[in-house]
Amino acid sequence: MSTGESRVATLQALPEQRTSNRMRFWTSFRRSKTAMIGLIIVILMSGGALLADSIAPFDPIEPHYSDRLVAPGGPYLLGTDELGRDIFSRLLYGARISLVIGLIAQAVSVSIGIVMGLLSGWYGGWVDDVISRFTEIVWAIPGLMFLIVVVTIFEPSALTIFAALGLIAWPGQARLMRGQVLVVKEMEYVAAAQAMGASTARIMFQHILPNAIAPMIVVATLGVAGAILTESTLSFLGLGIKIPNPSWGTMIDIGRNYTTNAWWYAIFPGLAIMITVLGFNFIGDGLRDALDPTQYN
Amino acid sequence: MTKYVIRRLLQVIPTLWGVFTILFVIAYLMPGDPLRAVLGEQYHRLEPSVVEAARDELGLNDPFHVRYLDFLGQMLSFDLGYSFILKQPVIDVIGYRLPRTIQLMSGGLLVGVLIGVTAGVLAAERQNTWTDYGLMIVALIGVSIPVFWQGLLAQLFLTQDKYGIALFPVAGYEGGSISHMILPSLVLGTSLSATLARVTRSAMLEVRGQDYVRTARAKGLPWYATLMRHQFRNALIPIITVIALDISGLFTGSIVTETIFSWPGLGRAVVVAIERRDTPVFMGILVFGALVFILINLITDLLYAVINPRIRYE
Repeated sequence: MSTGESRVATLQALPEQRTSNRMRFWTSFRRSKTAMIGLIIVILMSGGALLADSIAPFDPIEPHYSDRLVAPGGPYLLGTDELGRDIFSRLLYGARISLVIGLIAQAVSVSIGIVMGLLSGWYGGWVDDVISRFTEIVWAIPGLMFLIVVVTIFEPSALTIFAALGLIAWPGQARLMRGQVLVVKEMEYVAAAQAMGASTARIMFQHILPNAIAPMIVVATLGVAGAILTESTLSFLGLGIKIPNPSWGTMIDIGRNYTTNAWWYAIFPGLAIMITVLGFNFIGDGLRDALDPTQYN
Repeated sequence: MTKYVIRRLLQVIPTLWGVFTILFVIAYLMPGDPLRAVLGEQYHRLEPSVVEAARDELGLNDPFHVRYLDFLGQMLSFDLGYSFILKQPVIDVIGYRLPRTIQLMSGGLLVGVLIGVTAGVLAAERQNTWTDYGLMIVALIGVSIPVFWQGLLAQLFLTQDKYGIALFPVAGYEGGSISHMILPSLVLGTSLSATLARVTRSAMLEVRGQDYVRTARAKGLPWYATLMRHQFRNALIPIITVIALDISGLFTGSIVTETIFSWPGLGRAVVVAIERRDTPVFMGILVFGALVFILINLITDLLYAVINPRIRYE
């Protein structure tokens, strides 16, 4: 039968089609200067965080009491803090906290968002009603206040902050995913898969998820930026992770007491946060443009 | 339409119940003895039996479900309780602080709309020029800058002569004078203006390709008339949606802004109440914040239904 043949032909053509889509995505992404700058920023920051042990000129915790609040320049590239610790080295170690928290918190949030969106979009009916109501409940809770309270209750450990940030940030992502699923599930290939007797799990993860995921990638990238900002805000309010290694927000919180005689103390950590967040936002924007299917035509 | 409105209103009930439940559980788990907050210095001097009696009186010894039902009952009767430390009803605390937060939020909103919409319209008009690229990069920086850090920069460079110029007061409220409002409003409005610039730009670009805009241009209307009457008016819906959705963002931003600029609003009150374990106050403000957000969502949804008939008949 000719239909059988053409199906085989389509199947054979598929991998090629996919690579070419991927190529088109990459070409489009690479063409965006800001996206490339964002990528470079994130790579540099991650590199700094990973290699902090070998790059950092000083120990981030060890004080040098004779060199308190030394201005930038000389051996202390970005100056020192009130205990004579090198700010540049502390920033490198601080990058670990910011990046790890941003990425993990966002992973938690996106996973919840995807599962909730898949379930409510696919099943509809009462499942959709229940999940949508729950989404709205979480959405209605003022985020930062919730975080402040939760961190006060459970002590600001890394785990608490991942969990709390992730648990409060997913509703928008769930709504987006639900909308995507509603569109994708009407596609003919889903009907075809159903007709061929594919299991619900298979349809969800093989057919719906890959075709609904593009906007989620964009939102997740922007979400990392948001999570880094929120973590730094918590640290700034004195509710950050309590470990000897410095977090950027905590440095600003302490540094603001010295703004009149040591401007660099609060300025550089803020700059680090801004540049990192900007990097993720640039990438997110580039992804949005590159993943926009209307641009392929 | 009536059916949709009723269904949407009924949905508020489970949402409220869920929010109240989550908030109650949080407060229940809050560590530290609230009595310490109530009694202050006396806590250590009083006889244990007296402390215990006070605990009974406040209902702190009741089992979980009794306290939960009490709390729900309180919420249903619009009773937000009594502050442990300020010794006044929480509703009065909110009543005093809310106007100040609204004042600050209005300042932020004004800054955000003025700067954001202007920048967005300008960027769209000059699409793919350096003006456009420049404005959009500035807008991305605007959403990437931490609010608290921006506040510090403003204080560092605009309130003292050492590193900048002393143009504005460092912090404080002073009866809400304009000079005290400018810096906090700028700081609070930055993120909104950046978001609005991006949304306005894309909305304006979308409308620009429409036939009626071309017709308006073709019949010789001056550019500003086309811009305002034909393009801008039709680009308003996404702009207004973003403003409505960002009200909660302004509220969150006000927590930090009020902390930096010692502004006596709800945000500052919440942070202080949590530090002091003044449960009724921070619970009251959280509940209040959630109510406002649910209300905004409700209004937005109903407005959508008015604008878009497809939603009504679904």
